[in-house]
Amino acid sequence: MSQRVYITGLGMISAIGNNVPESFLSLSQSKTGIGKINHLTTRYKDEFLAGEIKLSNTDLADLVKDNNPALNRNSYIAMLAAKEAVINSGIDTNDGLRTGVISSTTIAGMGKTELYYKEMFEKDDHLNVLDTHDCGDSTERIADYLGNVDYVTTISTACSSAANAIMLGCRMIKHGQLDRVVVGGVDALSKFTFNGFNTLMILDREWCKPFDENRKGLNLGEGAAFVVIEGENALNLRKGKALAEVVGYANTNDAYHQTASSPEGYGATLAIQQALTMSGLTPSQIDYINMHGTGTPNNDLSESFATKAIFGNQVPKFSSTKAFTGHTLAAAASIETVISVLSLQNSMIFPNLNFTTAIAETGLVPETTLVNTPLNTILSNSFGFGGNCSSLIFKKA
Amino acid sequence: MTKAYINGIGCISPQNSIDSEWFFDAINPAKGDYFDAIEPSYKEFIAPNLLRRMGRAIKMGVAAGNIAIQQAGIEKVDAIITGTGLGCFEDSERFLLAILNNDEQFLTPTSFIQSTHNTVGSQIALIMKCHDYNFTYVHRGFSFESTIQDALMLFEEGKETILVGGIEEHTPNFVVLNRRAHKFQELPSDKPIWKSTTPGIQMSEGTAFFVLNKTKTEKSLASIDGIQTLYKPKTSADILNKLHSFLKLHNLTLADIDVTLMGFSDDVNFDQKLQELLPSIEKESIAACYKNVCGEYHTASAFAMWTATKLIEKQKLPKVLAISDKAPSKIKHVLIINQYLGINYSFTLLSQC
Repeated sequence: MSQRVYITGLGMISAIGNNVPESFLSLSQSKTGIGKINHLTTRYKDEFLAGEIKLSNTDLADLVKDNNPALNRNSYIAMLAAKEAVINSGIDTNDGLRTGVISSTTIAGMGKTELYYKEMFEKDDHLNVLDTHDCGDSTERIADYLGNVDYVTTISTACSSAANAIMLGCRMIKHGQLDRVVVGGVDALSKFTFNGFNTLMILDREWCKPFDENRKGLNLGEGAAFVVIEGENALNLRKGKALAEVVGYANTNDAYHQTASSPEGYGATLAIQQALTMSGLTPSQIDYINMHGTGTPNNDLSESFATKAIFGNQVPKFSSTKAFTGHTLAAAASIETVISVLSLQNSMIFPNLNFTTAIAETGLVPETTLVNTPLNTILSNSFGFGGNCSSLIFKKA
Repeated sequence: MTKAYINGIGCISPQNSIDSEWFFDAINPAKGDYFDAIEPSYKEFIAPNLLRRMGRAIKMGVAAGNIAIQQAGIEKVDAIITGTGLGCFEDSERFLLAILNNDEQFLTPTSFIQSTHNTVGSQIALIMKCHDYNFTYVHRGFSFESTIQDALMLFEEGKETILVGGIEEHTPNFVVLNRRAHKFQELPSDKPIWKSTTPGIQMSEGTAFFVLNKTKTEKSLASIDGIQTLYKPKTSADILNKLHSFLKLHNLTLADIDVTLMGFSDDVNFDQKLQELLPSIEKESIAACYKNVCGEYHTASAFAMWTATKLIEKQKLPKVLAISDKAPSKIKHVLIINQYLGINYSFTLLSQC
């Protein structure tokens, strides 16, 4: 049953750029997108930093060329990133092959619901916000924007969501249910998530410092990223070009706590282990790890222990790119998939910004400047609330 | 083709489905224009220290999951897959209102923590100490269908036992807003649900969980032979064509289907294609409905699957579900044709095993 599955198109919008070329430029210039809050309405806008997309909703509507008032920020950015991925891949959704859209989100339409919720009890003007509150809305918007989509579904497993969307897409191709799938995730910033993370006291008021001894928490970001994945049969049929191959993936559960990771990173260790087993690679064959690395004391320590459990004293070069984009929640894993493919294509490791001192318990030191080195294999981790742990392994095509 | 054998079921709905003996004998009508689920005494299923903090969706999900697991007589599963359209809406609303009422101050994290859509699946994993595969689908009328599609793939990938479930809850405020938005049937209709001439659904909530097994055991109640989702089919003829191909894949025709459970929702706009389809179904099979009993929600298809399993177990079609005048002489194959908002359609085939 198993045909190989390739990534053939990239699309991304986040704090570091409105498309993939802009994102690559920021990454290769070590330029973060995290800064002062401009678009999100919150009383804390001068106290915290965030990785905002630098466009207003009006700008976004212009870019997608659609003034439908039902569209919200989540849908706009999802549509843009998905379209970029499809154009980049060169697939034609009208050619009779089976195309799927598998997206993921945690916040869905809440960013708009929170603006009008109380008003809806009094006035009729914004009652249609009810129709776009749920997670499926942006996925169906993507499907209709692309046209001729045979299959849609949406996943929400907190901060590991997009990794699971990518995994499901690969599985559906291998099981012969689809020929190619547009997979990824989206989360726009909202007052709801901002206050949620603030209440958990895991937001850093300054730039986040993943894997630093003195890290204080994460910076929230927003974004959408999608990749086109294709089975080798469909790819060969159209003589398309592969950018990378998805050679391993795994989904496990930490089953330790609703929001915290186990100290030893048990679920994470299992996910990395299982993804490696599937890829047939040994730990020493992994050239670089794009870490989950949120910058919270709990995640980074737990992930460091999981990394040492698998790689021992030969930990590959690694970095977290969340100090560029902020933590984009459901979109994080697909944004980091795009970044990983850019790393493979350009033989570049993008730095772990803001790092100075290694965590005392583990002594792990990430790459802190741009590294030019040939890369053949990359491991990408994503972990989330509810103990959801996912790892993906990509190989240069 | 891989099948999934249903070895345990648990269902909380507006009816007394929590009682394993209940078989559509006493029916609770809607509360005016919507349904509330009948919730059990949770103490039997959930430890008191956990129960205190859980929102309704979590309690309903964990309890129904627990019932299914007990019935299957198992202690561990290889995967937990949940589906929910709106997730833990009560907790989401509680945190949202706290933000709005207090201008983002004096917030506590509990309701935020529990507001994530994967909370039910992860709570079950925590309780069962299940470190294995854990997925949550959140796509409208495909949320529950996706769990079954995934489970069937996982069986081919080597898993043996999987817990799947659909979960939906509403809140009093959400009911008010949906009524204000004219989503409900405004006047009680004397027409049966499959003959609606007016827009509006009867909004509802509920949860149904299933323990699925790769191989048949003495506990097996029925098998799930296949499932297919259709996104925005253009016409009822399209649906019928796809249905014939779906059945052909399983070496069946419509005439082999003893009961076809159809997802009429009482909204004439959403039901239009099913109304057009009904004569073709009735010509060869026996048509029935279920949303007159469970109401409409994103994962109503989980209630439909529970119903199909019961029909196969009892070999009887309750009068309250029947659309066709004919009674089935046997119930070997049950087909579910669900629709949600006239956008998300699905076929699910269950068989006696």
